[in-house]
Order: sequence, then structure tokens, then C-alpha cells
Amino acid sequence: MNQTVLVCDDAIFMRTMISDILSQAGFEVVGEAESGLQAVEKYRSLKPDLVTMDIVMPDMGGIEAVREICKNHPEAKILMCSTMGQQALVVEAIQAGAKDFVVKPFQPSRVLEAVQRVLA
Amino acid sequence: MANPPALHAVIFRIGEIICAAPAGIVREILPRLPATRIPGVPDAVEGLVNVRGSLLTVLDGHLLLEQPRREADEGAIVVLEVKGRSYGLGVGQVIDFLEVPAGSVVERRDLPGVDPRLVKAVGLHAAQHFILLDVDALFAPIIGA
Amino acid sequence: MDLSKYAALFLAESREHLNACNGSLLEWERAPTSLEPVDRLFRAIHTIKGMAATMGYAGVAQLAHAAENLLDAIRHNRVSADPAIFQLLFRVVDTLGGAVEAADGTEQAADADLIVELDAAALASQGTRTRAEANPESDDSQALPTSPPIPESKLRRATDAPRSRPVQVVISRGAAMRGARAALVLRRAEAFGAVSGVQPPLAQLERDEFDGRFFFRLQSERPEQEIEATLMAVGEVQSVQFKEPALGGDAGGPRRQIRVDLRRLDALMKQVGELVVAKNRLAALTAEADDAALIELSGRISRLVSSMQAEVLASRMTPVGEVFERFPRLARDLSRELGKQIRFDMEGEEIELDRSILDEIGDPLLHLIRNAADHGIEPPDQRVAAGKSSEGRILLSAARERNTVALRVTDDGRGIDRARILAKAHREGVAADEVDTLTDDLLVRVLARPGFSTAGTISGVSGRGVGVDVAMTRVRALGGTLEVRTELGRGSTFLIRVPLTLAIVRALLAEAGGERYAVPLAYVAETVEFDRRAVTSVRGRETLVVRDQVIPTVHLQDLVSTRKASRSARQPTVILEVGDRRTALVVDALLGQQDIVVEPFDAPRGLPPFIGGATILADGKPALILDAAALL
Repeated sequence: MNQTVLVCDDAIFMRTMISDILSQAGFEVVGEAESGLQAVEKYRSLKPDLVTMDIVMPDMGGIEAVREICKNHPEAKILMCSTMGQQALVVEAIQAGAKDFVVKPFQPSRVLEAVQRVLA
Repeated sequence: MANPPALHAVIFRIGEIICAAPAGIVREILPRLPATRIPGVPDAVEGLVNVRGSLLTVLDGHLLLEQPRREADEGAIVVLEVKGRSYGLGVGQVIDFLEVPAGSVVERRDLPGVDPRLVKAVGLHAAQHFILLDVDALFAPIIGA
Repeated sequence: MDLSKYAALFLAESREHLNACNGSLLEWERAPTSLEPVDRLFRAIHTIKGMAATMGYAGVAQLAHAAENLLDAIRHNRVSADPAIFQLLFRVVDTLGGAVEAADGTEQAADADLIVELDAAALASQGTRTRAEANPESDDSQALPTSPPIPESKLRRATDAPRSRPVQVVISRGAAMRGARAALVLRRAEAFGAVSGVQPPLAQLERDEFDGRFFFRLQSERPEQEIEATLMAVGEVQSVQFKEPALGGDAGGPRRQIRVDLRRLDALMKQVGELVVAKNRLAALTAEADDAALIELSGRISRLVSSMQAEVLASRMTPVGEVFERFPRLARDLSRELGKQIRFDMEGEEIELDRSILDEIGDPLLHLIRNAADHGIEPPDQRVAAGKSSEGRILLSAARERNTVALRVTDDGRGIDRARILAKAHREGVAADEVDTLTDDLLVRVLARPGFSTAGTISGVSGRGVGVDVAMTRVRALGGTLEVRTELGRGSTFLIRVPLTLAIVRALLAEAGGERYAVPLAYVAETVEFDRRAVTSVRGRETLVVRDQVIPTVHLQDLVSTRKASRSARQPTVILEVGDRRTALVVDALLGQQDIVVEPFDAPRGLPPFIGGATILADGKPALILDAAALL
């Protein structure tokens, strides 16, 4: 059975791109969320193997969402999707429980490497 | 009443008034420097200036003495030490450094247009009266406790 | 032959193969009996070995070679793949990844430990369990002499190891956000035990001000190879070594220390501070000059000064434990004196602070601990009557939060009776009559009033409430904040938040009414755009909705200027954050970041509380520093 992924990003473009990268690599994208709030809810209902999480989103940012998810599911495997210059935020996300991060613009290989590390 | 002893003083002009400060408390004379305004403080505080990498609070002599600024004045900052702290006094022009002979300075005299509380004495220099400023009194309402 | 032009190709192709390796490994792990993924893995590793050898990257080639040997043994059923083997191979792929990224033609040593493990695993395959008898000479010349019982010897080393072992980690050169990667490594290390003495400090790591190499001490009895494997698995980690950091150069010997008079460090710090300002000025002047050589030189000076600044800052960092250590005794004496049972605990002693701040923080903490013991913790009989254990607890803790250190004194005592404090505040005219609730904010202001006693009775221990006002004054002088959280019957927490370092502050420059102000970055949560349309009013106060949060606004122009200038509908806004309180500071423009040195000046009367200090900017003009805490 393929491993399942929840993709969280407020930009459709980014969601599409990440979904493409992951589905091509054999993952099953079981859900998408466009806000931190949705991310928390969908995590609860879908229990995906992996979550990709944008940092800046409306209705609760990515870091808050990580904190919220990890509160009840410390085992959650969350990969942060960040942009250059967000290092401090990434560090905060890591301290909140995120397992790894990738930096935009994405190179699919980097994304998959990170995904594999997170799932290892 | 005994005359005060001989006095070394820096003579400068603020607006239309010739003033003097005792040389003992004058740290240095600086050209006019661009000041950064400090919000919330009395208007007579001109702001902060950079003196060779250190900060100096400069007070506006014209506002303190309610004198008009002269267009032609280049401006200067007389750095004065008061109660262990240094403050700059923005003046119109520095005129002279002189030794005032004992006897030529008369203690405290009211002058038209000048708050008598700021005047310590009045002297004569080059046929002009000058005011020996009471710097403590001048700065008192402005500088912190 | 000039190989340099092939380096990029090598890198790209190796990455591809290594990716494939990871995929194959995952697939294989899910179906350990299938042979196809093993073949693919073998081919990929083999190709990498060939390419690396061609490029002269001996370290990569050696490791690939050892991995190939093991895979070959597995392909020929000499070894069966078990979880340990998978784990080992994942590490190999990660390490090869790091080595490939770092390979640049200079001689790179192979990861000897990993090769030893691979060889051992491959040898185990010979079917014999007597690895000790395996003949080292028969092995490939590349391999290190295989002292056979590797796991045992490693184990022995681990048990002999000191409780707090040095760990040195190098992040791969090509890695993005190496600082965040380092944070990930530290986070993973924390799963093994306490992490301390991070060098360079996390703040510096966060700003990527390091060369990918960092160091920390880890308190753990776990075997080194397990720790190494786990940390390598973080990804983009080039190496993990258990050794002391080399001081300058590569002298890998034991760390040597000398005593230095603190005044020398202070003088050095001040000079470096001035150097930073001069550097900033130079950069500003150079930018106008349009001279390539000058720009290059200025850039070089800039980097040198930055790393010098980092070194000096690091040399001043001292664990808070040095100040904490006198408190257990104090707590013990207090509990006797007061006839109370108090358990005193400490956390985060390894958190580091600039020496000058540390020296100032002891007194405020002392006052707060006295307060907690005296006013917070109840006598045993009262505690039992309230259904609590007779022993009260005071916790002193330190934690890094953003660019600040949070020091908390928490007690599980009676808490502060807001109604009583409010009544008192009314009587003494501290709070206006119409104020009918005492927020945490107001509470701390009331408590911090000189002479305001928190106790119904005045005891000899903490006297007339001087604790909080002394603590408040000291902490504010350090550019810090003091907060209180309290719940009646449950206890109180006093929180002191101080900047990591005093002398040099990273600040955001903001413009308002044509003037420039510096906002210390330690208190900047983010910057957003002020949009008139996103403004609402909450109880008569203008607030801004940023995502789902309602944040009160402050217009810097209103604050600093007497006359109102026109405002545009959209303005940059700095979200200030102190603890969990936020304020949106609306400014006219943001002018970028700068390292600033706080310069003393003789302040005139009436200096508003939101002015925290002053500095000299890169262009030589003075600017005022805003005090974030006073704006909340």
C-alpha cells in the first residue's frame, strides 16, 4: 500500500507541485489543506503517514499547526516547506516538532530526499 | 561685597545675547552637527549627535534663552559638564576664550529680555555686556534627575 | 585532464543515483526477499564508486567500495538482510550523499568508522559467527585494519566515555539553511539526553553565521555508533564525530583554556562593537563608490568582522548554572527560616547568556525566589488543608526563546489574590477607580511599585515587597521584561526575559515621520502589511487582524511626532512579541536590518518609556532604539 500524504499550503500552485512530486514518487496524496486550521482537522481525520506544511498560511500558520498536531500526535511526520530567509521560523517549527524541512524553490529530488528521511 | 576672583570664560553668542560659561566646565567646542530628535522630551532638547562615535545630548540655546536664530550664524556646540554628565549647548557663534579680570564682572543684574534666574553675573567684554550663565539653572528643567 | 568541469556532472549524477538508492532501499526494506532492488542498489553504488574514483574523490570511492562488498555478500546469500543492515545501508547512502556534496578534489578522508562497520557486516556473512578469527590481511587494502570484535570495542568505548561527551557535527556544504539543519540535529540529539554548550550558540546558527561545523555536549550513555547513525539520518549531515572542537586551525588536541580578566573581554567587546559600526559605515560608503575592488575588500572586512564578533560573543557566553548554583542553598535556608517545606528544582542550567547580563540577573532572581518562598508557598498545615502536599515546590528554569532567554520562577503556592491587590491599588491610587479587573499586566505594574507590599504581613525575608520592584528595575535596565502569571490557590510564575547579549543587537530599522528608529529583532515576530481594510475596533482600540489573531495597533508616527502627517492606506507593520503578548507597530517604511551597538547617552527629562536606548547607524547618524516591552 502506498504511503499517504497530507499537503498543506495556501497556494494552489504549491499544492499542485508538491502533490505531483509526491504522487510521481509513488505516494498517495490523500488530502490537501489551505490553512493551519484545516491541516489540524484533516490530520485528525486522515492520519496520513506524512504531512507537508507551509509556514505562512491564513487561519493559523504552519508552526502553530505543527504545535497543535504534535500535541496529540508526537509521532506525526511533518515536513516544513519554507522559503529563503525563514530560517528562524524553520528553527521554531523544528522545536515545535517538525521532522525536517525543504526550501523553496523546490527541487523534486531534495523534496523526496527529505520525505524519505522523515519516513525512515 | 567682594568682587569674584579672576575668571576664565568661553564667550559665545546666542541670538542677540552675548553669553559666557566658566572655562572649568567647558569640555570642548564642536561645529554644528546634525541632531537626531528625541520624541517626548522638552522642545529645548535639540537631540542626539554623534561625537566621534559617542552620543551627546544637545540642548537648544536659542530656545532656552528665547532668542531668535540669526540666519548668518554658522552655529556651534559648546560641550558643558553638569553634575558629572556632559551636554551640548547649541549656540549661534563662539566668540572668544578670555580671562576676565577681577572687578569687571558684576554679580547678578537683571537684563531686559533674559530670565534673571539664568544670569549669574554680568561682565563687560569689548565694550559689550555679556552674561555669565548659571548653567545649572539653565539646564535644570531639562536634564534628568 | 582538467576534471573540474566534470565536477558538476559528477555531483548531479551521483545525487540521482543516491536518490535511486534511497528508493531501492525503501522498496527492499518493505520486501526483504526481493532481489531486484538489491541489484539496482548494487549497480548505483558501483557507478558512484567508479565516478568518484575517476574524479579522485578517494573518500567517496572507499565508502562506496565497502558498501558494494556488503551488497555483493547479500546478493550471494552470504548475509541475510536484517533491520540492522538496512539501517547501515541507509546511513551509507546518507553519508555518501554528504561526501558527494562535499567532495571538491582536496583529499577527503573516508568515513573510517562506517567502513569498519560495513566490513564487519560483510565478514559476518562468511557464515562463521567467529568474527574474531576473520583474517584482517585477507581484506581489501583500502579498509582499515579490522580489529575484529568491533561492536564490543565500541561498546566498551561507550561505557568508558564520560557522561557528557563532545559531539562535533558538520553539515554538508550544499545544504540549504544549514542553521535549521543544525537545529534538527540538536533536536534529534536531545532524544538521547541533555544537550549543552552549543557552539556557536543557537542564535548564531539561526542566522547561518557558521561554516557548517558546530559542536555540543551530549549527556548520554548510548553507544556512539547509535548516536552517530541517528544524527546522520537527519540528512545533509556530512560527519558526526565525538571529539572536542579544534581551537583555531586543526589542532585536534584536548581543549585548552586560560583565564581572562573579564574587563579585557569587556574592552574587546566594546571595540568589536565599534568595529561593527565602522564596518557598517564602510559598507554604506562603498555601496556609493561603485568600485569593484573596494566592494570586494569591504565585503571581506565585513565577513572578518562578523566572524570576529561571533567569536567574541561566544567567548562571553556563560551557562546560567553559574548563577543558579547558589540558589538551592538559599532555598534550603529559607525553608528553615520560614518553617516551610520547600522542594527547590532547577532546569536549563546549561542555557547560556552573555556574562554581563548573567552578572546582573542574580539579584532579581534572588528577590523572586525569596518572594516565592515567603509569599507564595504556604505553611505545611495550610497546604494540607487546601488539599495540597505539605511540601511546596519552587522551580527555577531557563529556556532559550527566540533571541531571548526566559528565566522563570514558578511556585505551587497560594497565588496572588487579585481582589486584595486591586483593593490596595485603589486605596493607594495606583489603579483608577473604574478599573475593576486586575490583568496580569496591571498586576505586575502594581507589584513593581516601590514599596508595594504583596504580603498581608511583612516578614523579615522579603520585606515590604521590594522584591518585585528591585527585580523590575534591574531587568528593565538590561533591556529585559518581567511578567507574572498567577492563579489563586494554584501558584505564580514570574518570568524574566532578557536578551542573549547586550552589546550588539540585531535590529530592524523603521521610518516614521521622516525619522529612523531601531527595533531589536529579538522582539520582532514578523512583519506584515497594514491594510486599512483589515482594521477593526475592539473596545475602542484599533486592532489589526493578522491571520486569525486580533492584535492592537500602535502607529509609530503618532507616538513620536507632535503633528500628524498623511498616512497611506497600506503601511508596513512590525508585529512585536514579548512572551505571548503582541502589538502591531505601524511604520512608514522598513529600511532593512543592521547590527547596532547600544550607546550610552545622558538622557534628558521626559524620555518616554518606549525609548529603550540609542545607537549610531551605519551612516554615522544617531537613532533611537524602541523598547518593545513598553509598546505592548
